[in-house]
Amino acid sequence: MGASGSGKTSMRSLIFSNNPASLTARLGATIDVEQNHVRFLGDLILNLWDCGGQDAFMDSYLTTQRSTIFQHVGVMIYVFDVETRGMSKDLEYYRECLEGLQQFSPDAAIFLLVHKMDLAREPKNTTFDKKKKELQEASGEASVTVFGTSIYDESLYKAWSSIVHTLIPNAAVLSKHLTTFAGACSATEVILFERTTFLVIATSSPLSPPGQSGSPVDDIDAHQLDPTRYERTSELIKAFKHSCSRVREEFHSLEMELHNFTAVLDEMTKNTYVLIIVHDPTIETAALKLNIRMARRKFEELQGDSLIS
Amino acid sequence: NGHRTASSDAVTRTKILLLGLRRAGKTSIQQVLFNNLPPKQTFYLETTMRTVKHAFDTVIPLEIWDCPGNITVETLGAPLSHFSTMIFVIDIRDLYNNPISKLVEFIVAAYRENPNMSLEVFVHKAEKLQEDDKIENFRQIHERVSDRLLDISPEYEQIQLNFHLTSVYDHSLHEAFSKVLHKLVESLPYLEDLLNVFCANSQSPKAFLFDTTSRLYIATDASPVDSATHNLCCDYLQMLNSFGSLYKSATPHSRKPLPFTPPPSASSTSSLSPVPPRSSSSTSPGTPTSSTTRLTPHPSKDLFYPSAATSLHPSTPGTTLTYHLITSQLALLALLPTSVYEGRRGLLEFNVVFFREGVQEICEVEKETRDGR
Ligand SMILES: Nc1nc2c(ncn2[C@@H]2O[C@H](COP(=O)(O)OP(=O)(O)OP(=O)(O)O)[C@@H](O)[C@H]2O)c(=O)[nH]1
Ligand SMILES: Nc1nc2c(ncn2[C@@H]2O[C@H](COP(=O)(O)OP(=O)(O)O)[C@@H](O)[C@H]2O)c(=O)[nH]1
Ligand SMILES: [Mg+2]
Repeated sequence: MGASGSGKTSMRSLIFSNNPASLTARLGATIDVEQNHVRFLGDLILNLWDCGGQDAFMDSYLTTQRSTIFQHVGVMIYVFDVETRGMSKDLEYYRECLEGLQQFSPDAAIFLLVHKMDLAREPKNTTFDKKKKELQEASGEASVTVFGTSIYDESLYKAWSSIVHTLIPNAAVLSKHLTTFAGACSATEVILFERTTFLVIATSSPLSPPGQSGSPVDDIDAHQLDPTRYERTSELIKAFKHSCSRVREEFHSLEMELHNFTAVLDEMTKNTYVLIIVHDPTIETAALKLNIRMARRKFEELQGDSLIS
Repeated sequence: NGHRTASSDAVTRTKILLLGLRRAGKTSIQQVLFNNLPPKQTFYLETTMRTVKHAFDTVIPLEIWDCPGNITVETLGAPLSHFSTMIFVIDIRDLYNNPISKLVEFIVAAYRENPNMSLEVFVHKAEKLQEDDKIENFRQIHERVSDRLLDISPEYEQIQLNFHLTSVYDHSLHEAFSKVLHKLVESLPYLEDLLNVFCANSQSPKAFLFDTTSRLYIATDASPVDSATHNLCCDYLQMLNSFGSLYKSATPHSRKPLPFTPPPSASSTSSLSPVPPRSSSSTSPGTPTSSTTRLTPHPSKDLFYPSAATSLHPSTPGTTLTYHLITSQLALLALLPTSVYEGRRGLLEFNVVFFREGVQEICEVEKETRDGR
């Protein structure tokens, strides 16, 4: 949901169709509701409703189509243009949507995206914080999660990874097994991505507090890795996948032995990719690749379990 | 942006002149190529008021003169004979008299003073036009310049002019500037030979020697350059450059040669002993059995050279794109059959080492001749 021109269709085409940001300028206004089924993690099917934001459509969502629109909603994502001229009208529609949601899908998670942050007035942080406060006030009792996003940087992947995370039944179990796997690889950390969107599904969790010995996993806190690394990895790989598709190739895997770390990115299961980050210079990529191969079956099983439950 | 002049350091720099009307895109070109400025950010560049000299070190040390739009041969501040290359930037929509006259004026002056200078025309901001208009404007600019030169003197027919379509928003700028650079590298034939040998011995259909920061290629093998492959290599380099800092650890881990300790029961052929991850949840966490996969360190490696590979197709016969750092700023990018990459790694690494030694030697010689001058 969100006003016309706020950027809903643009973000959908970036995340789910691997289109570059530069092509979004060609998108026309969405007429009525565009429904999309995206297969996510194999058997989990996301049913995306991209609701055209022109007033006439909004009015009809809130009246005649009300039950159709607001029934069986798992997540509502409401997009606000950060530099909108009509904030009071946006808020009015937003409040009415909240009411509709509370009536028909009271358990739905709510995400608010303050979008086009690349155009936000400087200082951007202040602009965002002000917007966030305003939105939280407008949400009343409802619990909402607010992100600042732009299709021109990694912020979009951060927000969407967090959104899909709420839809994966047992992400915690995946995380636990990734941690074990990281240990077996002497890895600093291991990250699991969904195959087509490259959104982060789960990561290994740092095991030992500093000083505690015996753990095979490098202590991740000691490395002080860049806090934006997950979403930036998604963005980088998505961009490179797009480059590959332009020459009619298909990105398949990547291994790197760089100055600062060693990494392997490869298929884990049919629907996921795994990235292993190692800071121990004696570990070779070939060994990591072999470990991935041997872990595949286990993760296929886990994934099957997670979707049945 | 400081005024880094050649006099501040001892080396003789190869000078490149960047000319064109104001707002043609000269500063954008310089910044996107050599300062990693994202193309979208060029919008905020301010008009250049005074000539700015940018030093850039690659196989050869370069000095790029970014000139203001109103500069003339007289106000340039150096004789044209000091420059190896003149790049004239012209907006693809500028079919009018003024930019073309200015261009012709410089060409004539350059040709008189220094007939050996390479004369390059960047028909710029090409992405602004649709394909048909793009070709048509390009053709018209080319034709008008030639006609004008002939009008002045029939003798000018023999001036060798090179036209390129460029834009900061795609890879055309990198490809065009690479071609400009090739004419300046005296050791190019030797680098090309090394690349040809590498390709032949490694079954590689295409290999480039890239400058890693500017993503310009310094040399390639004899097979024709296909733009799509070139673009993919540029994008690959950009991704690797960005990855490099992303997972950088605050605690330094040495890549220096490690003390050589042979593994307990190692035979020379099987030091690889991967261990599967614990596959059932019944194992209590922290059991010391989850041992690690370790290989013996490479013996007596003086320096660590980063490398990477990406496989571009899941099935055989797939292609793998490899990256090997050759000197601190040059990298070898090669397309290889995945079967060669996976099945004959040793041979590949050997060929890379051989190639690296050759390139390093050539760079040494380049440096010595320059310092000696
Ligand atoms: N600067 C900037 N522009 C954006 C961003 N996201 C989208 N846009 C642009 O905003 C315009 C409108 O985007 P759409 O995705 O069609 O908007 P929409 O919300 O789907 O609009 P309706 O379908 O009418 O409801 C396009 O020209 C996009 O290129 C962003 O993050 N930054
Ligand atoms: N569309 C497009 N605009 C460009 C391109 N290169 C530069 N520009 C724009 O042209 C304007 C002038 O660029 P600038 O580099 O300052 O020109 P200079 O005066 O020749 O140095 C800037 O607004 C740039 O964003 C290009 O390839 N395509
Ligand atoms: Mg839309």
